[in-house]
Amino acid sequence: MSAPTPTPTPAPAAPLAIDARGVRKVFGSGAIAYEALRGVDFAVAPGEFLMLVGPSGSGKTTLLSILGCVLTATAGEVSLFGHRVTGRKDRELPAIRRALIGFVFQGHNLIAALPALDNVRLVLETRGHSRAAATAEASELLARVGLGDKRWNRPAEMSGGQLQRVAIARAVAGAPPLVLADEPTAALDAHTGLEATQLLLDVCRERGSTVVIVTHDSRIFHLAERIVRIEDGRIAPDPAPKGDS
Amino acid sequence: MSPPLDVEARLRAANQGRARRAWAITALGVRMMLHDKSKFVGTVLGVIFAVVLANQQLGILFGLLDKNTMLIDHAGADLWIVPPNTTAAQAGQRLSTQLLYQARATPGVAHAAPLVVIGSSVSKPGGGSEAITLIGVELESHLGGPWNVVAGDVGALRMPDTLLFEDSQRAKFGGLNIGSVREVNGYRVRVGGFVWGLQPFGPPYTYAQIDTARTLGGVPTDQLNFVLVEVAPGASAAAVAAELRTRCPDADVYSRADFHTKVVTQLLKDQLGVSFGTSTSFGLVIGFIIVALSMFSSVIDNLREFGTLKALGLTNGDLTRMLIVQSLCYAAFGSLIGIGLVGFMARGISSANLAVIVPAWLVALTPVVMALLCMLASILALRRVRKLEPGMVFR
Repeated sequence: MSAPTPTPTPAPAAPLAIDARGVRKVFGSGAIAYEALRGVDFAVAPGEFLMLVGPSGSGKTTLLSILGCVLTATAGEVSLFGHRVTGRKDRELPAIRRALIGFVFQGHNLIAALPALDNVRLVLETRGHSRAAATAEASELLARVGLGDKRWNRPAEMSGGQLQRVAIARAVAGAPPLVLADEPTAALDAHTGLEATQLLLDVCRERGSTVVIVTHDSRIFHLAERIVRIEDGRIAPDPAPKGDS
Repeated sequence: MSPPLDVEARLRAANQGRARRAWAITALGVRMMLHDKSKFVGTVLGVIFAVVLANQQLGILFGLLDKNTMLIDHAGADLWIVPPNTTAAQAGQRLSTQLLYQARATPGVAHAAPLVVIGSSVSKPGGGSEAITLIGVELESHLGGPWNVVAGDVGALRMPDTLLFEDSQRAKFGGLNIGSVREVNGYRVRVGGFVWGLQPFGPPYTYAQIDTARTLGGVPTDQLNFVLVEVAPGASAAAVAAELRTRCPDADVYSRADFHTKVVTQLLKDQLGVSFGTSTSFGLVIGFIIVALSMFSSVIDNLREFGTLKALGLTNGDLTRMLIVQSLCYAAFGSLIGIGLVGFMARGISSANLAVIVPAWLVALTPVVMALLCMLASILALRRVRKLEPGMVFR
């Protein structure tokens, strides 16, 4: 009688990049209390490129802020890559942001005093990278976004599209597993906005980052792998088809 | 399929390299500070203002105190026997000459010499008169001065009715020269030489041999203002002072340092302390306000950048470090330039009448005080930064 073939142990399933359950956020209290999120359940797989859409005031930026650990939820649970981030002390959140999250802001938000290279390098140095390693990675990233020759330019010396490309380089510096972008095309014309989003998508794919973009710019919807609509503080039951805001 | 992300490892890595992060934040603070040039210049000017005003006022105060204690400091006496409750080395209550003899007979006293200080006036050739402080010394003892003799010789005082005048007052006294003849208290005297800078709060010191001074000032030989004592080598000044107190119960006995301190304390208490304390504090308060408002307005102007830095993972501690680095830079730049200006001004305005004394300890203390002041001034900005929600970057 031959020995039974051992059953192979299944590889543990990778945790979700984002796992949000019953997230509520109330601003203010008493008569002026405003409930921006009313129990959001939301999941994003690792490596996914997702767009969060919805009308103004629907709560999409509030949700992005909670996912980015820059705002705390009133109730509910949020885990990033299996690591619960809700219920943490405020002083623990900066380390979570440094470790896991890259940001692209609506208005690029670069430090005016620093040239492009130092804007990117700063993120790496504050994460403990050596000067040499930070310089090498920042230079490489700026070259990747097409700004190798502009690395010593300060924000005041660059166009809107160039600024957003520096912001993308900064967001992916250190290869954060999650990149959150808030209306990244808002300050750009149609062509530049599309180009910047495509660049963000490409760079994040190369680095294996999960991407969540909050946007209402329907011209970039076709780039998303999935679109989630949020309305009145809740995830809409049926995902909107691509190309529809 | 890529392996699951090791979040704990990433979190550990994000908390490592604190020294590098601290250095990056320090450099960022300096660069952000220098980027807003007008605000930087304005803030440094505020610190310079505080440094210059405070140091200049203190320099003048120390100069004035020095003018009022220079006789004590330069007389060469280890101990001073003074009338009771004396708070200044000036003309005033007199002592009996008996005390001089008591002092000379006290064990441990090498020399004891009389000193008379008399308010007098010198008549000018064209009419009118000017006040002087006539100081009579016993030349043999070398106690009591004069010093800073810039023309003529101390030995000239041995000649009858001969005085040494203050050099800076030559024109005021009607164009004095060596050999000039003037009247002091109605007696004809001859100019035997000049001293420089012996100009206390009151009229300038004018030196005479003690007998000449007694004659000019009408001070009888059984009276004097102070007894100056030089302690013998190897003797304890404190023990000699204690013995003199026993032997001279109707007078006070001080060491040079104690008499100096008593005069300074009285001056600060009576006149100078409040006046100069107010102006010095005023300089510091104005500097504080300028730095505080400037740093606060800088934070308000750059609120979005601070919010961004927080969103990127910088902690309140990081941003506190940044602002403290900035405040220390303001203090360093302001102190350096301010002290330079004070030195320049001190040289420019110092004269025989007014010395601006900025001691080395004050130069060393200034950056420390300004650093504390600037750090204190940054509290307003710090409070704003610490309260800043990183989520504001998404609004």
